[in-house]
Amino acid sequence: MTPTPSKQTEMEQDIQSSQSSEAAAKAVLLEECEQQFGLLQKLQNEIILADTEANDDQTNEAVNRLIAVTSELEQWQEMEPKLLTTSPEVLLAVGKEELQRLNGQLKMVLSCSQAKLDAQKKILKREQTWQAEKKEALNAVCEKITRLQSENEKSEHSVLQDMKKKINNLKDYHSSLMEMLSDMLAEHFPLPDPQGNGTKKKRAAAYDAEINLISLSEIIERLTNKTLETPHDPYVTTDDTFWPPYTEMLLRNGIATRHPEDCNKIRLENFF
Amino acid sequence: MALLTPYSKVPELNTATVLLVENEEELQSKLANAIVQYEKDFNVNVRLARKLPLPVENKETRPRIDLIVFIVNLLSERSLQSVESSLAHLHSDCFLGKVCFLVTDARCGSHTQERLVSVRKLAASHQCPVICAEHRTADGVNAAAVRLLNILKVTAGMSPIATTALYLSSLTRCSVTSDLEED
Repeated sequence: MTPTPSKQTEMEQDIQSSQSSEAAAKAVLLEECEQQFGLLQKLQNEIILADTEANDDQTNEAVNRLIAVTSELEQWQEMEPKLLTTSPEVLLAVGKEELQRLNGQLKMVLSCSQAKLDAQKKILKREQTWQAEKKEALNAVCEKITRLQSENEKSEHSVLQDMKKKINNLKDYHSSLMEMLSDMLAEHFPLPDPQGNGTKKKRAAAYDAEINLISLSEIIERLTNKTLETPHDPYVTTDDTFWPPYTEMLLRNGIATRHPEDCNKIRLENFF
Repeated sequence: MALLTPYSKVPELNTATVLLVENEEELQSKLANAIVQYEKDFNVNVRLARKLPLPVENKETRPRIDLIVFIVNLLSERSLQSVESSLAHLHSDCFLGKVCFLVTDARCGSHTQERLVSVRKLAASHQCPVICAEHRTADGVNAAAVRLLNILKVTAGMSPIATTALYLSSLTRCSVTSDLEED
């Protein structure tokens, strides 16, 4: 649908008026620029004059800086904020641009600070776990210290009592070991039974002479007693009361050894 | 003595000029290309020099220089020495925000650390910023160009009214901490 002629002219008028207002705004801006540039030229000429008059002879930089900063400060204090121009279109365009730029910069700042925050949080967590571990270690060590201290603070009486307890324990253990040994020996190494060996002719003659055989436990007892009581002479003379197979067994299993010169003497073998 | 003065000429419209001073002339051209590529909003003139004082012949045609960048290559001793001798040819007003130091190869060895310390002390005595750049990759050169452009915008007066070169240099100037002094 083509717009009616009146609307068309209206639109044209609108376009023309906006164009003219644009041109007017541009003209205003150019005017401002020219003014500022004229001011700049004037100031520049003044500076050049001042330079040629007083040639700088390398005064102290810090003093220079101080002078510059104080003069700038004065300028800022005197200056009053003023609009660039009163034309609304110009202001609108400038404002839009500024705000967009500011938006972009603020987004960058936001992402940067968030990244920093995340990094700091990670560090915090790590440090917290480290601290927890160290605290645990500290607690354990403190407990151990208190325990050791309490142990060290025992009186003589308690030391004596501990000693007595230990001795009693050892005695009980010793007696139980002995009991077990004798039970085992009695069970597995009994005295040879005169009736158990079948009917051989030797039997009667042999066993009549050796009727007072001593048991293996007796042999072992004699050996140990001799060793403990007379360590310089631990030899026990084997005689007929020792049943030969038992002595042979002791010798072969390394529990006893013969005297190097006398084959009738045996002693308990060294044990470690 | 012909000193390089900051305000002896009228600035041009919508233009900023930066002077890159480097003894070795390695990074200058790359940086110049990167700077010119990056900036679209206003004209940037990049002038290159090996050292100051600048040749007298160009004095009339040379535009006003907004930022002077001293490029120091930490791997060679002569670089730092030529920069120090060039500093003598600068008007002391230049140090109020128009001078910047750019160091390269700051991570390459023990001698570079000592030289970096001396560059920082020099910059701190003149209250100028120090930028570290990495010149072997294109990314490094681009990053350095962007940073220089930011400073250039401020010293040429292109940023919003409240930021002046003096103010920026007060913010970004190199400070020598007591750790460095102990070194």
